[in-house]
Amino acid sequence: MTGLAQTLAFGVLVGGVYALAASAMNLIFGVMRIVNLAQGAMLMLGAYLAYSLWRATGLDPLLLTLVTAPALLAVGWVTYYLFVERARTTDPPTALVTTFGLALITTGVIALIWGNEWRLAGPGYAGRSFTVAGLHLPQAQVYACLVAAVVLGGLWLVLNRTWLGRSVRAVAAGPEGARLVGIDVRRVWAASYALGVAAAGAGGALLSVLYPFTPSSGYHWIGLMLSIVVLGGMGSMAGSVLGAVLVAVGEALTSAYLSPGWATAVPYLVIVIVLLARPQGLLGARLREDMSRA
Amino acid sequence: MTPTRLRRAAIAAAAAALAAFPLLSDNAYWQNLAIMAFLLAIMASAWNIISGYAGYVSLGQSAFLGIGAYTAAIAATALDVSPLLTAPLGGVTAAGAALLLALAGRRTRGIAFVIVSFAFLELAAIVASNWSSVTGGNHGLALPLPTWDSDYLNLPFYYALLALLALTVAGSWAIRRSRLGAGLVAIRDDESKAEGVGVPAARYKTAAFAASAFPIGVAGGVYGYYVSFLEPAAMFDIVIALQIVLAAHLGGVGTLWGPVAGAFLLEPLAQFTNQSLSGPDAGSWRLIIYGGLLSVIVLFFPKGVIAELVARVRRWRGAEPPALPGRRLTPVPRALPWTPQPSPGTGPLLVVEGLTRHFGGVRAVDGCSFTVERGSITGLIGPNGSGKTTVFNLLDGGLRAQAGTVHLAGRPIHALPPHRRARAGLARTYQATRIFPSLTVLENLLVPGRGSRAGSGTGSVAGSTTRAREWLEFVGMGEYAGHPAGRLSYGQQKLVELAQALMLEPRLLLLDEPAAGINPALVERLCEIIRTLNRGGMTVLIVEHDLPLVLSLCDRVHVMAEGRVLASGPPGRIEHDPAVQDAYLGEHTTAGAAK
Repeated sequence: MTGLAQTLAFGVLVGGVYALAASAMNLIFGVMRIVNLAQGAMLMLGAYLAYSLWRATGLDPLLLTLVTAPALLAVGWVTYYLFVERARTTDPPTALVTTFGLALITTGVIALIWGNEWRLAGPGYAGRSFTVAGLHLPQAQVYACLVAAVVLGGLWLVLNRTWLGRSVRAVAAGPEGARLVGIDVRRVWAASYALGVAAAGAGGALLSVLYPFTPSSGYHWIGLMLSIVVLGGMGSMAGSVLGAVLVAVGEALTSAYLSPGWATAVPYLVIVIVLLARPQGLLGARLREDMSRA
Repeated sequence: MTPTRLRRAAIAAAAAALAAFPLLSDNAYWQNLAIMAFLLAIMASAWNIISGYAGYVSLGQSAFLGIGAYTAAIAATALDVSPLLTAPLGGVTAAGAALLLALAGRRTRGIAFVIVSFAFLELAAIVASNWSSVTGGNHGLALPLPTWDSDYLNLPFYYALLALLALTVAGSWAIRRSRLGAGLVAIRDDESKAEGVGVPAARYKTAAFAASAFPIGVAGGVYGYYVSFLEPAAMFDIVIALQIVLAAHLGGVGTLWGPVAGAFLLEPLAQFTNQSLSGPDAGSWRLIIYGGLLSVIVLFFPKGVIAELVARVRRWRGAEPPALPGRRLTPVPRALPWTPQPSPGTGPLLVVEGLTRHFGGVRAVDGCSFTVERGSITGLIGPNGSGKTTVFNLLDGGLRAQAGTVHLAGRPIHALPPHRRARAGLARTYQATRIFPSLTVLENLLVPGRGSRAGSGTGSVAGSTTRAREWLEFVGMGEYAGHPAGRLSYGQQKLVELAQALMLEPRLLLLDEPAAGINPALVERLCEIIRTLNRGGMTVLIVEHDLPLVLSLCDRVHVMAEGRVLASGPPGRIEHDPAVQDAYLGEHTTAGAAK
């Protein structure tokens, strides 16, 4: 029983970081209708930045989200005007292939700068655990989950309590209408894309202390984020949080009761099953252009 | 020589050169390069069937390479024969897997399909590395070395893959020329419209996906033996999936030879970068080069580099076909190319009862009931937003009704999918025409096929072509048969769409605002066509805003307001019905209350 409770608790903690990564991808999809496969590589970029800064300064990698997020915001802004702007005007599958190209380029650049060795940031609390009611909660996971919750909360505030957020939601609902009421749609797209990439930068800093990574770990994260977004519903933030916890718990259970080897299959199984059985996800609205009528 | 003959000669010469090459030179480097180019060309050409023709982009087609390789290797070990003999088994397994995936995913479209294909590839890799009792897991699976004399070196692989490439291209050609191929391109252009003219889209896509997986699976069997060692990371490689997409985009997506040409361009480039880049950073540079190529090509040459360059050269040389609009239309013939059979049963041809469809709080169609008599021209009129077009969408199955029944010739059709309704004898045109722009005018008519109502969806293509030309003559578009439909003027497209609907040999023809947006001369012509069709025995239901036209054309008129029919009768009486005048001149509330 404690074994199960331990597994579930760990799954929920992991779910926090997953939720941040997936929400970043979902924000971009919700506003621009682009599935950004480069998000995995952006996450890695954030992780490597945090790792290098931690090595250089000894500052806490989790606090370094304050640096990685703005840095990735800039990267997002630049890549938006270089690639994404044009991709947005093509059909969705073409745009998706383009972002995959962007993912490859980013992965290659990361490998050129940092090499292909496995990395992991190790602040003082790494390896230590809290014990609450007989459950062992790794301190790094707890802190990372908290930071993820803070960043997600901040994102929510920006989207729901600011003028920028209101424009973003207006553009998500319909670019034509938004343009008619005087919103500079192009800038809102750029801002949402940069914001999504910045959130990935924050997420990268968090996972730099949680999981060892190489440049190509980004591919694994693409699968994870896609499965969460697809499960929760494309374009639904609340769905992403729910999906993240479900996927994380599913992984933890598979790892504990079957084998860690099969845990990596969970996200992909989720994708295949959800898209085949309930294409709109748990909390998502049906998209006319994606699904045939049922 | 004509361009076609020149092309044929060039293809024959290239094939002969490739066949003779290993006999003239035993350079192992060049042979290996050719073998890898054949492999990529087979995969790109096969990918093109589902992703080029049907427009369903797969980012995971290399999964079938791995599935084929593992199947062939495991079967060869079990049966103790050469993996070259079991390679076709690899194709069968790959096609089987594709069939299962496509059947389960009948409803996935657009990006959902891309994501599923990517997930399928990753899943296959994980299964291969975890199922170690069969696949050897991450330790890999070693195959026996070739048994033939070392003098022959790579020749068996070379010829096996060359032959497979020839078969794949021939298969792709045959598919594109068949009704399946026209249906696939129609699906790419406009899937729901394709279903509306009777294309069983789910079945066609499943067939295309399996047809695409089969050659890749066979090639996987051969390739596995060639490299003689299988490991999950190499056999289910996203980079291979990417090279396939890249090769097709280099040559030309949706064309017959584009993917092959693209593969022959890309493979030497890949080998070159493999050699010229070395050291620890080589892999990173390759990622940057591939990623950059992929993004740039997909963004700037969406139809393929070679294909777009050829089109540009043609435009520059002025070799484009002359502009189409402005030619004279031929007079409408008196006789129809086909005599409608009397529909079974008695009573009205179409009986609609209690049809209902709400969108959120909007009651677009709200308990709508009416009938269409056999042999009549019936009009459906009503103010804007009264639900006329929604009724059409509910009749042809483009939308599902939330309540109500529809009977055609006594048979309930409201539960049928759109393509079955089309085959049951219901054809329609759209308010804004929806023909398939990438197909020629003639091909547009071949998508529905002929004699399709009898359920024989596979009637001879030759017979269909004759009938299609007859209908094109009938609407006056016979001269345009070979032209791309996307280049016609709006009015011409309307005529083509009408001919396309007629190819279904419908019991009931639904026309949605046939006269909107076209010039008065063409309106005259349309009226004449409708009258001729009706004299020939066809029943017609028209939605139209042009009241004088409706009143002069129709035997009977139904007036809709607020989602239901509020008055019916012959045109003379309808014109003076106070409820109708109310509906048109405002006072909606009284009109609604009067019902």
